[in-house]
Amino acid sequence: MTAPSTPESPWPVRTVARKVADWIGRLGEVWVEGQIAQLSRRSGAATVFLTLRDPAADLSLPVTCHRDVADRPGLELTEGARVIVRARPDYYVARGSFSLRATEIRAVGLGELLARIERIRRLLAAEGLFDAARKRPLPFAPRVVGLITGRDSAAERDVLVTTRRRWPAVRFTTHHCVVQGPSAAANVMEGLRRLDADPDVEVIVVARGGGSVEDLLPFSDEGLVRAIAVCRTPVVTAVGHETDTTLVDHVADVRAATPTDAAHRIVPEIGEQRRLVDGLRARSRHLVAGRLEQQERWLESVRSRPALAAPERLLHGREDDVLGLRTRARRTLTHRVESAERDLEHARARVAALSPAATLERGYAVVQRADGSLVRDPAEVADAEPLRVRVAGGRLPVRVDRSTDQEDPA
Amino acid sequence: MSSTDERAPEPTTSYEQAREELADVVRRLEAGGLTLEESLSLWERGEELARLCQHWLDRARERLAAATQEEDRPS
Repeated sequence: MTAPSTPESPWPVRTVARKVADWIGRLGEVWVEGQIAQLSRRSGAATVFLTLRDPAADLSLPVTCHRDVADRPGLELTEGARVIVRARPDYYVARGSFSLRATEIRAVGLGELLARIERIRRLLAAEGLFDAARKRPLPFAPRVVGLITGRDSAAERDVLVTTRRRWPAVRFTTHHCVVQGPSAAANVMEGLRRLDADPDVEVIVVARGGGSVEDLLPFSDEGLVRAIAVCRTPVVTAVGHETDTTLVDHVADVRAATPTDAAHRIVPEIGEQRRLVDGLRARSRHLVAGRLEQQERWLESVRSRPALAAPERLLHGREDDVLGLRTRARRTLTHRVESAERDLEHARARVAALSPAATLERGYAVVQRADGSLVRDPAEVADAEPLRVRVAGGRLPVRVDRSTDQEDPA
Repeated sequence: MSSTDERAPEPTTSYEQAREELADVVRRLEAGGLTLEESLSLWERGEELARLCQHWLDRARERLAAATQEEDRPS
């Protein structure tokens, strides 16, 4: 044992280093999982240096191993790969540096990766991050689209070309970033923060071409999924090929199958919209014109109705009435005059018929005494009495002479 | 006959009101049974309403033509 250190008797560096090395050496062997952030092999050197990053927290550990451990057949170490390392915490006394001394490195298998993603998916689904109710509708024709993608990538070109062809007025604010490897998730999150904070950006597209499950791993990063969930701007994801599903696809407001498909989702097709508007406009104009024509025809028909078109008819009827009444009055009057005339005629005829002249004409005679009275009975007159006989031709004085009288046989 | 309407301010009677009243006037005229003075007044009112309707329709036609012209102008 060493005596406690004091200002008067400090420990030499070697003592402290040895003590730290002893303590660390006692920690023993651990299995640790992480993502390879850096990998450096120096040609000829027997030791390989790795940086092992925690996929969720922003921290990392240096790892060293013998070249044989890193180059084991079947193991392909690349930056970004998920690995499980058997290592012993090691303190390199010569430099005072700490590292994990790996004795075995295993790649995390595809199945294991998928199972891990599935676990995260279930966790986030249980939190409700993927609920349909959370999905926001995309703007109809955004003026500014935020695009997060790899610089000069096919995904970027697909989105830009197709979107601009469909809707030429669209503008892009592009955030270029690493879309693969250990820093990709953080890079994309940075882009999201920037574009979400930009008030001009109306929709954000996260686009990346296809790749292996490992390549697309950053897009199933829990932190990135949560970052998309809190975005106020609607987010469209277009990651990988149609068959690839990453967790960001679940949380995105719209999942596009490919970057080209994303372009189809975020903007309408201008020609189609134009045709639509033209069609609606033609229909509305046709309707209004038709309605107008119908009303014009109606008005025309009403105006041509005799009641309106020929106001003189209002008078016509009345004139006819007056004429009719007048005619009737005249006819009635005429009738009455004529009938009076006829009456007169009859009266005249009767007078004529009653007059003795007609009887005298037929041969009868009227006998009158001197005083003018009519003789109706032979006994009324005396013998030799002078009488007057009146015949049609005139008067004739006679005298009564019974000697010649004979009994009238009648 | 719309020329007489040009100088007048926009009538307060809408097309629909004028149209409805006009139809009523014609119906009453056709039904008859009115005094001469009544029917003449009614006919005059009918003429006025018909002019009003015509005014609205002419105005609508003008607006339609104006909109169509504007649309057909090369942008």
